[in-house]
Order: sequence, then structure tokens, then C-alpha cells
Amino acid sequence: MIEILSNAALATVQDLGRLGSLRFGVGTAGAMDDLALAAGNLLLGNEAGAAGIEIPVFPFKVRFAEDCVFALTGADCGAKLDAEPLLPWWSHRARAGQVLTLGLPQGAQRASRAVLCLPGGIDVPEVLGSRSTQMRGAFGGHEGRALRKGDVLRAADPKRACRTGFGLVPPALALPLQLDGLVALRVLPGAEYLGFEAASREAFWAGEWRITAQSDRYGYRLSGAALRPVAPMELRSHGIVPGVIQVPHSGQPIIQMRDAQPSGGYPKFGTVIEADLWRLGQAPIGSRIRFIETNWDEAVAALEQKEAWLAKVARMVALQRSGPMGVAA
Amino acid sequence: MMKAPHELREIAGWMAATDIGFLELRMPGATVRLGRCGDEVVTLDDGQRHDESPVAHRPGATKRSGPPLDTVTSASVGVFLHAHPCATAPFARAGARVQAGQTLGLLRIGVLLLPVATARAGTVAALRVEDGATVGYGAALVDLHPL
Repeated sequence: MIEILSNAALATVQDLGRLGSLRFGVGTAGAMDDLALAAGNLLLGNEAGAAGIEIPVFPFKVRFAEDCVFALTGADCGAKLDAEPLLPWWSHRARAGQVLTLGLPQGAQRASRAVLCLPGGIDVPEVLGSRSTQMRGAFGGHEGRALRKGDVLRAADPKRACRTGFGLVPPALALPLQLDGLVALRVLPGAEYLGFEAASREAFWAGEWRITAQSDRYGYRLSGAALRPVAPMELRSHGIVPGVIQVPHSGQPIIQMRDAQPSGGYPKFGTVIEADLWRLGQAPIGSRIRFIETNWDEAVAALEQKEAWLAKVARMVALQRSGPMGVAA
Repeated sequence: MMKAPHELREIAGWMAATDIGFLELRMPGATVRLGRCGDEVVTLDDGQRHDESPVAHRPGATKRSGPPLDTVTSASVGVFLHAHPCATAPFARAGARVQAGQTLGLLRIGVLLLPVATARAGTVAALRVEDGATVGYGAALVDLHPL
């Protein structure tokens, strides 16, 4: 059991998302950095899709009410267990009464969201096949809302004996993708791509885009050279998914993120491929990003590369958790 | 297939030229363990099998003069890292006091990071291996002056 001690603004319980309900108008939700969630779960021997806590605002503090193992992934937040510094992307062990504190994200490749995993996952009810918090519908996760000070959450398997004290090379280093020193995202041109001026299309790929303060789990608003349509486009509302890049009349694009509503009517310039959404999910407000044009085959290959990394993590962690060379915990 | 004696001698010769302290060869029907004994590489029987804990301590493993040093060795083949890949500050510098159980570096094995920790308190005498170097099982990683 853990108790939230800080005013945990916008921290939510998330799994890998509520897939298969878009036809009912229910968005996917799910972890903004699905690799961090899956890796944190694997470190503890959980299913990759078990629910964890996604933390976007710091400092964040929880108290462990009983002895419990846990894993920290995502943003390196200079975590401490009482006064003891903890390594990022690592499995740890807390004793009853100890307090875990996450500070501001740090490091050269500063990320923006930390993920805390507990043995068996966070024990919240499954709704429509997922434990993710659906903020718009106010269901799923912990009481359908962001966490608050005083909330108490349970691990599904709190007593699990589990080898801890080892970690992973973070995927930002293991699967890097940068262009001119900036985080890069691969984009498939969208249905209305050719409806934009050639100069705008060129500028989209060549320019830097800043993630504005109007960015959250619903969507990221970018600022850069305005994208101009050849002629005004009026579309009926149609289905959209996380990753879709819409261009409203201002010409400043919006990328739909995990809490996106399932339909919209703005022209679609392109789609950030699924395999790169975690990179965007970790890009801090104020940071600049670049786009790389890609195609279907490359997008599928990128997804396979991501899955291969997770399969390697699962295999190596299983060896470490069972093998004789492991660190006795 | 069992290795012929001349093949084992050849492997022992390669081993003697490195800082690998222990080598285990598993073959169908047979397992051979080679270990270091002074400057010699010898075949070990099961009774002499090395401790499988990640940190095998062998006081006085170095040939320097003065009081014997504690040497922290590698538990596996891997890449020795002085700092966490997210950080720049090393875990340990020469001259630093360290406590029992303290992490002195990391061993990277594919996607995995394992701590290289000291079983005893001491003062770091030297990091024996460069940051990012590939090391073998039993390689000497850090020398400590025991307290």
C-alpha cells in the first residue's frame, strides 16, 4: 500500500491503454511513455501492460505503508528513498514507512514523465478492458481522476518476493532518434497533406517545432512556421487517433496524444508513428523537436524494433531474476 | 565434445594474457573451469568453484607492495561503466571512502545494468578498468584499501 503525500497534480494510474473502444467514442488513454511503463513492469516480473503511476509534476512523494518492491522508469527525477539516492530505470525495495521522493527531471536528455510500478501492478478495477484513467469520461484508473494527496493505492501482489537492485539502459539511449541534436519523430503524411502549400510542407520537415505550454495528455500544441493550406479545407468530423497532427486555421499544428478525443474535423497534415509516441510523451514543454518523413514499411519496422527491445528486456530480466549471478536481494 | 589437453592449454594461454580470473567452459557431457593461481592458469575442480556472488573478493589479488588491497571483480562478461548512463558523475573516484554494499560502478550486459558493489568498506585505491571497457568474468575492476 502506498499513500500519496504530495499534491500530486496530474499524476494518474495508466496501463497501455483502453484499446477497442474507439467505436463507442471512448479514447484510448494509456501511458504517455508506454516503453517506460512496460519496462518498469518487466523489471518487477509483472505483465508489461500492468497499471503503473505516471507522474508529470514534481516534487512527488509517496509513503510505503509496508515493505514493498518497486521500479522507477521514465524521467530521471533524482529519486530518493528517505535520504538515500536511487538510480533511475531501476528496481528497488522499500521498507514500511519509507518515503519515496521524486524531484525535478534532470540530466542531459531531460525527460518529463516518471513512471512508478508496483508488484502485480496498481490494483484498480478494470473498466472496458483497461485500468487507464479516462479523464474525459471520469472513469478507470483511481476513481476516474488524477491522484490527490491522501489517496491510498494498493499493489496487486504486494508480498511478491522479487530480486531487485538492477536496472536497464534507458530506451532514449538504447533506441535514440535525433536530428541536429533535437528529439526527432517519424511522421506519415496524412490525408490532407497535399492540401498544404509546397513551401509549408517543406518547412514542416526542415524546421524546428517548439512544444508550447498548451500541451498535456490530450494534445501538444506546437509553434513554428505556420502551415498554410492551398485553399481553406472544411471537413466533417471524422475518427482520429493519438499521433494525428491536425492543423487548425492558425497554421500551428496540434498533435493528438493519449487522452485525445476520438474524433475531430481539422485537416490532418500527418501522423506521428505509434512507435515514436513515447519520445513525444517524454519531450518537455518548451523543448524543440524535429520531424522525419517516413512510410508504412518503416513505421512497421520501427514498431518491430520497439517490440524487439521489450522482448530483450523481458528475456534479460527473467535471466537476472532467476540466474545464479543475480544480486541476492 | 571434450576439449583435448592441447586445446585447454591454448585456452589457458589466452587466459593468462588477459585479466580474466575465472573461465568456465560448458560442453555436452563435461564442464571445465579454469582459474588463476598466481601467474598460473589452473584447472579447478568443483570443490574449488568460485563464489557465485556478484562480487568475489580476493584480498591481495594485486602484486603491488604495501598492505594488501581488496579487489572487486566482475561477476560476468560485460561493459564496465564508471557512471550511470543518465549521469556524468562517476560512482567512485580514487581516494573516496566507500561503505560496505556501496555501488562502485555498473556492469552493462546487453540491455541490463548490474551494480558492481563492494562487500567491505574501504578507500578507493584505483579503478582498474576504463569507463566503457569490455571486461571478462572475474576481471579486476576496482582496488580498495580496506579499512
